[in-house]
Amino acid sequence: MLKTRKARAWAIQIGFLAIVAFLLISSTLVARDTLHAQGMNSGFGFLDRSTGWDVGFSLIEFSPFDTYGKVIVVGLLNTIFLGIIGIVLANVVGLTIAVFRTSENGALNAIGTLYIEIFRNVPIILQAFFWYAILTHLPRPKDAYNLGEVAFVSARGVYLPGLNVTGSSALIFFIALVLGIFFYIWFTSARRFRSLTPSAKKNGKLTIVGLVLVIAVAALVMGRIPETNLFSIPTLKGLNIREGIRIPPEMSALAVSMAVYGGAYLAEIIRAGFLSVGKGQAEAAEALGLSPWYVFTRVRLPLAFRAILPTLTNQYVWLFKATTLGIAIGFTDFFSVISVSINQSGQTLELIAILMVGFLVMNNTISFVLNRVNKAIKLKGTQLRT
Amino acid sequence: MSEVAIQIRGMNKFYGTFHALKEINLTVQKGDRIVICGPSGSGKSTMIRCVNRLEEHQAGVIEVLGTELNDEVGNIDVIRRDVGMVFQHFNLFPHLTVLDNCTLSPMLSRKVSQAEAEKTAMMYLERVKIPEQAEKFPGELSGGQQQRVAIARALCMKPEILLFDEPTSALDPEMISEVLEVMVELAQDGMTMLCVTHEMGFARQVADRVIFMDKGEIVEEGPPEDFFNSPKEERTRTFLQQILSH
Amino acid sequence: MTALDHAEIRAMGPSLTESLRRRYFSSPGNTAISLVGGALLLWIVWTVLNWAVFKSVWTTPDGTSEVCKGIDGACWAVIHQRGRLIIFGLFPYEEQWRSTLACVAMLITAILSCVPWFWNALRLAMLWVVGFAIFYILMRGGFLGLLSVRPSEWGGLTLTVFIYAAGILVGMPMAIAFALLRRSELPVISGFIAGLIDGVRSLPLITILFAAALIMPFILPGWLQGDKIWRVIFGFGLFFAAYQAEIIRSGIQALPVGQEEAAKALGMSYFHRTTRIILPQAFRNALPPTINQFVITFKETSLVVIVGFFEVLASGNAAYGSGEWSFAYVEVYVFVGLIYYVFVFSLSRYGAYLERRMRVGQH
Repeated sequence: MLKTRKARAWAIQIGFLAIVAFLLISSTLVARDTLHAQGMNSGFGFLDRSTGWDVGFSLIEFSPFDTYGKVIVVGLLNTIFLGIIGIVLANVVGLTIAVFRTSENGALNAIGTLYIEIFRNVPIILQAFFWYAILTHLPRPKDAYNLGEVAFVSARGVYLPGLNVTGSSALIFFIALVLGIFFYIWFTSARRFRSLTPSAKKNGKLTIVGLVLVIAVAALVMGRIPETNLFSIPTLKGLNIREGIRIPPEMSALAVSMAVYGGAYLAEIIRAGFLSVGKGQAEAAEALGLSPWYVFTRVRLPLAFRAILPTLTNQYVWLFKATTLGIAIGFTDFFSVISVSINQSGQTLELIAILMVGFLVMNNTISFVLNRVNKAIKLKGTQLRT
Repeated sequence: MSEVAIQIRGMNKFYGTFHALKEINLTVQKGDRIVICGPSGSGKSTMIRCVNRLEEHQAGVIEVLGTELNDEVGNIDVIRRDVGMVFQHFNLFPHLTVLDNCTLSPMLSRKVSQAEAEKTAMMYLERVKIPEQAEKFPGELSGGQQQRVAIARALCMKPEILLFDEPTSALDPEMISEVLEVMVELAQDGMTMLCVTHEMGFARQVADRVIFMDKGEIVEEGPPEDFFNSPKEERTRTFLQQILSH
Repeated sequence: MTALDHAEIRAMGPSLTESLRRRYFSSPGNTAISLVGGALLLWIVWTVLNWAVFKSVWTTPDGTSEVCKGIDGACWAVIHQRGRLIIFGLFPYEEQWRSTLACVAMLITAILSCVPWFWNALRLAMLWVVGFAIFYILMRGGFLGLLSVRPSEWGGLTLTVFIYAAGILVGMPMAIAFALLRRSELPVISGFIAGLIDGVRSLPLITILFAAALIMPFILPGWLQGDKIWRVIFGFGLFFAAYQAEIIRSGIQALPVGQEEAAKALGMSYFHRTTRIILPQAFRNALPPTINQFVITFKETSLVVIVGFFEVLASGNAAYGSGEWSFAYVEVYVFVGLIYYVFVFSLSRYGAYLERRMRVGQH
């Protein structure tokens, strides 16, 4: 009966599915028994219960009376916030070090190599612990480093001047900015807008800029906290620093470690990209009389970027996952919020499901977007890469 | 000498909607030496690759050494052991020495002892005239030497049929003759051979029959004298003119 | 520059001065960068040396932190005093020689695997299984009068080594299986494995470890649960396998199609084709990224600290965390960092060496 290959293929696949189904069903049954024995209710009803505990850092208003659902949102926002800051900083560091490493100057070379060999070879979590220890051993607020009376650096965190607006409006402000930049780049570089007349193009650009500005300003005006100054400047009052925006040391330590460690990896990727650009292309550009700056920005950088985008995508996803180190030093990121919620509510299975789905969605969004970009900018056809 | 080695009846092959082979009919007796030629893309490689089922056909019948090749073949590997193949790009295993290339499959698939396998391998390496290269790796040999090793490797399985898929096309001109020489000797020893090749000299010298294929069909088939001196079909004539003009 | 230096440079011919000039002083701007950069480098080296060597305190005679009061340099006395804690964790004091021996066994295993004679699947597998078994038996004890120590009491560097070796031993066979199954012609199987691999790869390692520590007790019947450390090692191995499987798969895809066809034409079975032709070559192709993955995986063992294991990072935290040494956090982190550094640096150098060697050996 199982003589033909087709029949065998079917039999194997059905058997495989049966095993998977068996494992799923039996583990569900065991889980039900275990939960029953522990007297716990399964389901997502707990998301509406209030937590009873506060979080250390939140972009939106949060109090212990708020629900589990909200605390998870707080964690998600913190993770996205930290992820964006960390990845942006890592890019800055990475590009700088890559330029050092590919420079013809021996001293810059040596600095770049030293940097990479030191920071790439030590686990990022160790670096996070290290920076956190350094930051929390800074002077106390009353002895804080005073940067021109507008910013302070202390063990309680870095105090920066800011605006007296609610967290949610600041969030909308930033989202508007990011989306604005994204649409602007898309509009100026996408193929489908290339055929527009220059005036239509100009109008389009103005519309995008205008729209973003209106939304951003509106968000700030609506979110303004009444009866306060618009600007909030940190000042030392007694033993503590009042006003301003406090960036807690947990956040800074993570952002710094992501920038330092991620930067070391990104630098090597970017360097490989530069090396992959054929000498011929750069020489051709020079032969056309382009200045070194144009050779770099118009020929080497775009070609290198195309060559490394798939690797960069992986590295961004990896860096984004590194935000989960928050739990090690007490930053309330998505993962640590879930972890505390598990301890407090006991809803292990549901919370871990939320955690995994959350990361699957976020990371796949990153790869999806960047893969689309990659597809859009990919060199068409095959060409000699020498 | 009248045993049937390969029997192909009404065979068709498609790649998606592309009709790669159309109604192929071919009978190969044991000891037959057949040369298949035709322009590139005519389906000649595809046809011989169907004989050891590296490609699967969709309609018709292929019988190899008395076994029909279809989905019901319990173990295609058993049949492949009796049908050797020599590829255009040699496909030697670069991580194994020449000797190991030759002994691997006899030891694993035919369960021959190592001593026996090495004895056979050295015999065939001598026959293709490179016994001194036995301990080298394929990458250290020239193209012609590699192809001769590939022939020896196929022979080590003691196959009943040998398939040649453009064995000289990837070689530099000066190396072609050393490979052809080996093939001629094999033919003279009575090996059943199916050769896809453009070497018309070889075809004249050893072939019992020459088959001309174009656009997935067998256009013409006949003994070399007739084929070269009085081709019946227009397409054959054009092809022969092109290939013999230089 | 002294006269001697000049003489030396002249002795080496003009090419050196010329290349020096080109690399450092080709233009005024370049000269300025070289000078500033050189000064910065010197300053860094000087500061580090000054702190770590010249002004540091290495030992503590009375076991307290008194010796480090008021010094400007590093207080290495904390390592002198707490080094055993960092290396061995809470392993019983009198039994720590076993821990040392076990680590030496692992080290020998690692060094032996760099010897080309061991480079085939069987020998390598045997070597690691034996090395790992020696490690485990030594650590576990419970025979010949050796005190029995459960894995949950292991700690420090030894625990890091254990989790790393065990994770890779579990993960490598999984990785090979995943890579082969993902290439399967059966859509259900390849699709399922692809989903599994991509899913694991887009999750942070901590969430996998967390799930292994917390979910498995729910869904596994009691007799299958085992100690938490084994569950975490399984999670660790799974994560490694998801990445390594893709590395192996790309190694397979880099092979010419003709290799598999030639093996088929010789009548070799799927098993023989895979084990004798495909995998050996795929591993060779995939060696550089594989070593890179080993390096990354070693660094990632540090994450088990989050699911409550007392590995080298956690024991480092403990070493300065309590009272009198709390000022010496930099020294402790530098020490732990150096442990990682030595391993990671030598492994990646070895990888670079292999890569060069392979490039030379390519025909």
